[in-house]
Amino acid sequence: MQSLSPGSPDNTHARRPRWLGWLLLAPMLAWLLLFVVVPMGILFVYSFCQRDDLGRVVFSFTWENYERVFTPIYLAILWRSVLFAALTTALCVGIGYPVAWYIARQTETMRNRLLLLVMIPFWTSFLIRTYAWITILKGEGLLNSLLLSSGAIVKPLELLYTPFAVVIGLVYAYLPFMILPIYGSAEKLDNAIVEAAHDLGAGPVRVFSEVVIPLTRPGIAAGILLVFVPAIGMFAISDLMGGAKVPMIGNVIQNQFFTARNWPFGAALGIVFTLLFVIAYTLVQRRQKRRANVPQA
Amino acid sequence: MKIARTLLTLAAAGVALASTALAADKELNLFAWSEYVPQKVLDGFTAETGIRVNYETFASGEEMLAKINAGGSAYDVIQPPDYIAEAMIQYGLLQPLDYGKLTHFKNIMPEFLKMPHDPEQKYTVPYMVSTVGIVYNSEKVTKPVKGIKDLFAPENKGRIVSVDDGRELIVAALYTLGLPLNEITPENLAAAKPLLAQWYPMIKKFDSDSPKTALLDGDVDFGYVWGGEAARLWEENKKFKYVLAEEGAHMFFDLLAIPKDATHVDAAHLFIDYILRPEVSAQISAEFPYTNPNSEARKLLTPEQLANPASYPTDKRKLDTFRNLGKASVLIDELTTDLKNAQ
Repeated sequence: MQSLSPGSPDNTHARRPRWLGWLLLAPMLAWLLLFVVVPMGILFVYSFCQRDDLGRVVFSFTWENYERVFTPIYLAILWRSVLFAALTTALCVGIGYPVAWYIARQTETMRNRLLLLVMIPFWTSFLIRTYAWITILKGEGLLNSLLLSSGAIVKPLELLYTPFAVVIGLVYAYLPFMILPIYGSAEKLDNAIVEAAHDLGAGPVRVFSEVVIPLTRPGIAAGILLVFVPAIGMFAISDLMGGAKVPMIGNVIQNQFFTARNWPFGAALGIVFTLLFVIAYTLVQRRQKRRANVPQA
Repeated sequence: MKIARTLLTLAAAGVALASTALAADKELNLFAWSEYVPQKVLDGFTAETGIRVNYETFASGEEMLAKINAGGSAYDVIQPPDYIAEAMIQYGLLQPLDYGKLTHFKNIMPEFLKMPHDPEQKYTVPYMVSTVGIVYNSEKVTKPVKGIKDLFAPENKGRIVSVDDGRELIVAALYTLGLPLNEITPENLAAAKPLLAQWYPMIKKFDSDSPKTALLDGDVDFGYVWGGEAARLWEENKKFKYVLAEEGAHMFFDLLAIPKDATHVDAAHLFIDYILRPEVSAQISAEFPYTNPNSEARKLLTPEQLANPASYPTDKRKLDTFRNLGKASVLIDELTTDLKNAQ
């Protein structure tokens, strides 16, 4: 998450890495080249191709795939995906921030224990955890039987296979990715600064909004990226918990590669989607930098 | 450069490995539907022949074809659905079978041979057959269910699970309109769309892998499902009734075939012949109660298995199958995305 913190001007000694530096970087560069640059290149080429009747890629140039991306259906789906991801991210910040803050304020042993609790879900496969949610939320599931037997409701609630279930699934899946980076920032925050703010007469709200939030901002920003980006592309949760009813952009792309066997169109969707991210990311980065530069100016 | 050379060395090593395997034919790469070939059957084959089976799975015929199109994986036996096999034959992706090596092929009932997907019966062997129809929970459903119009009656909103297959629902709409099932044209799709636009919001869940789960869980009371799924529901509880829609119904074949670039062709024939044995085929039916096309295997089934109305429908209508659509599959995807998006 280094790249998210404001650029430090004093890294002159790292500016020109010598051969040792390159050697250390080599595995990373090779990895990036093989698994990011090359696949993106293939995707880019495919996105201008056509398909034959069998669904194989035919190398003859067309703009058609991109024209199709910008039709109302796909724009609407993309927009919906962004909304779901934004809602998920907001909920993750809302739920994750207090948790991260609380953990960061504990003693070291307690901190480690609590962090372990946050990470334990990762020991089980993501799909199994999602199926567990299905058993909880389904019509004759755990939650409904509990509510029915306690007399809180008289008729089972329709929870599963609704957008509500999709958001629950998304928040559940990505919450740790919000908690961990915020915890990282919060843990480093010096309590003396908070106390100083109090001593200088700031009330709790002001301390929080003008001291705590700015100092943990890198963690929040990292968390937002880690949650928002994958949440937009997620397709398994909308299939399993949303009953495959409301398509997200991830589902549409997945469909192009399997069901519709239209790889060029899937590639075009992928390219547009990636570009949108890069643009959004650059904008966020810029704002971040500008904000970091303000006090010094 | 260095990387390129290393890669080349690796590739050469891979080829060397592959060719030793070829010489021995000690393994077989099977590419089949998930949950369709019992482990017992694979183990039995290995115990008898010493050939290890690598069972890789797919969740839809389209997915299978996409992986084969992508290349790089040499499968020896694949399990395509009928319309995919038709396309593969048309494009020369399957190799002709040596029926001389398939000594049990005679067990397949003639009514399941020389179908439109393989009119000369040169490339494929039927594995299992089934239909697509309506299943309902007769404890919850009091009105008679005869066809698609009863399934999508307004009061059933939110009580239906359907296979997540755009083409199946489009064809259901074509049946309702009295249009032919394989004529997926822009005009016919436009005619079907208003009907589908009413149906889609009524469906509570789309699930191709295991639509029976939503019915078993009591989440829904109706399903538009594969016959095999309905058959398993009936085995579970007799309250689940299966009907072929009166407006129209079709059957589908899952086949066994050998791709053009298979490396273990002998082992592939051995495997297909093993599957055709009555006792093996009956073993498959016991676990996956689809319609068994093997007359000798049917003799080994229990009366209860044979009485399963979803495996062996009493409705003796002549049923059509899906044909390869070619370019029209894009139209189906577009309409389906549109319909789901509009909800």
